[in-house]
Amino acid sequence: MNRLTTAAFLLAGAAMLQAPPVFAQSPDPPRPRFEAGIGSLWIGQQPLGTRAASETTGAGGSTPLFSTSSDLASAAGIDGRIGVRVTRSLVAEADASYLKPQLRVAIGGDLEGAVAVTATETVHQFTIGGGVLWYLPNRAWTRRFAPFAMAGGGYLRQLHDQGTLVDTGRYYQVGGGVTYLLASRGHFHTKGIGARADVRALIRSKGVAFDGGGHTSPAFGVSAFVRF
Amino acid sequence: MKRPLTLMVVAGLILGQSSPALAYLKFGVPVRGQQVTLKWAQTPARYFVSDTGVPGVSAADFQRAVGRAFDSWQAVPTASISYQLAGVTSANPGRDDGASVLGFQNRPDLDRVLAATSFLVDSVTGALLESDIFFNSAFPWSVAPAGEPNRFDLESIALHEIGHFSGLGHSALGETELQSSGGRRVLSAEAVMFPIAFAPGSIVSRTLKADDIAGISDLYPDDNFSMTAGSLSGRITKDGQPMFGAHVVAFNLSTGLLVGGFTLNAQGQFSIGGLSPGLYVLRAEPIDDAEVDSFFDGSRTVDIDFRATFLERVVVVPRGGDSGEVALTVVRK
Repeated sequence: MNRLTTAAFLLAGAAMLQAPPVFAQSPDPPRPRFEAGIGSLWIGQQPLGTRAASETTGAGGSTPLFSTSSDLASAAGIDGRIGVRVTRSLVAEADASYLKPQLRVAIGGDLEGAVAVTATETVHQFTIGGGVLWYLPNRAWTRRFAPFAMAGGGYLRQLHDQGTLVDTGRYYQVGGGVTYLLASRGHFHTKGIGARADVRALIRSKGVAFDGGGHTSPAFGVSAFVRF
Repeated sequence: MKRPLTLMVVAGLILGQSSPALAYLKFGVPVRGQQVTLKWAQTPARYFVSDTGVPGVSAADFQRAVGRAFDSWQAVPTASISYQLAGVTSANPGRDDGASVLGFQNRPDLDRVLAATSFLVDSVTGALLESDIFFNSAFPWSVAPAGEPNRFDLESIALHEIGHFSGLGHSALGETELQSSGGRRVLSAEAVMFPIAFAPGSIVSRTLKADDIAGISDLYPDDNFSMTAGSLSGRITKDGQPMFGAHVVAFNLSTGLLVGGFTLNAQGQFSIGGLSPGLYVLRAEPIDDAEVDSFFDGSRTVDIDFRATFLERVVVVPRGGDSGEVALTVVRK
């Protein structure tokens, strides 16, 4: 074996060692793997539309008494999830979150000159839902980073004034992110410990809304996870 | 023992009395030192219509237009009030005979009174025994489906007066401007029970508004009303002192509907009932778009020297409950 042949064998062996299991050609299905994560979720501002308080004129038209413009302010909260690997690149997830966004209603244009104000109220927002996470092909940027795309949806519950009034609705989300494996199998009887970051487009249907339409806002999540 | 209690209630100039009840402006009558809300103890409330017509409105036209107005109030789904036509009569309204009569009368002396409602009340129980409505035939009237220029729409004015007939007072949900002649012109209104009528030809007051519906439902609630509707209550102060007679408006952010009320006691408290559960903006304003005596009797001092003001928080009105007292401070103009 000359030096060139030896070097070629070493490179081939190194490449096999680095190759992640997804590239292995084993016909065996993946063993179930569970993942639990918890972290923080930030949701951006959600405009809720404008509405005027109007009175009727004698001809059947309308005259605005004042006008309002509303939004749900951006807010950060907590987000938790559990997932199970269903194929080598697909994970099914269930997740829940809790945030306290502030409802803001800017009131102005008063017919009798009332000073414009912004009326506020804190909303307690809970979500519970599910989705799928798909690890992109050739996912391993390095041994530790893995990019993914995600989509899902679920149930939304918003409580006002400590629950005396409840708004419910649905949410849908699409996005993507990356996981970073901090420690691999063998640590603390787990199959891995890592961190995850993702960005999402969050589409909310119903819930607190004054214009009847859906509302889209950006969302950003960071979390720690454990794989079993 | 009965005594007549006459309340001139008109679409143009009104004398009314307020009840201390913390809700709508409802008529109240003093009974043994207590204010009792004026309402029909038993329904259907029976009424007669006059057999007299006027130019442009026959007796049959009159009966049909008045019937449509009664039907509008009776159709409010959250209220239990009902009415029944008892017959046609040659009697005039205004006679204390135990029969409620609606009809025309020629009163050119009342040159700003389109119509008026009067009551006969049992002074022992406060029960409403009779309510008469006269329409002033000194004005031109119309029952044309689309209205007629220079003629007042009978159905619109009847709808207002039947609100009084049922026990409702006036709403302040409207804007007016003073005219050089001394009267007021209505620019806009969001309640049939606003005390001043739109100009001749207008038919927009044939339809009840949210404020009217909340008022009649509060006065005659159906079985589910107290469980499905909510209320918004609070207190208005100026310079640290409670205010009587401030007009308070609740604006539903989801429906865009307006319902008004007043501070009606010495503590400056108000309560607006009959609201759909939801999120509300609250606004207080002085009563400056109609004469104060359109809403309160002359013995009460109503402060109108303050600026329209919004509450700086969104008010939550729960289903079947109250918002809890909110506090709003207003400042002098």
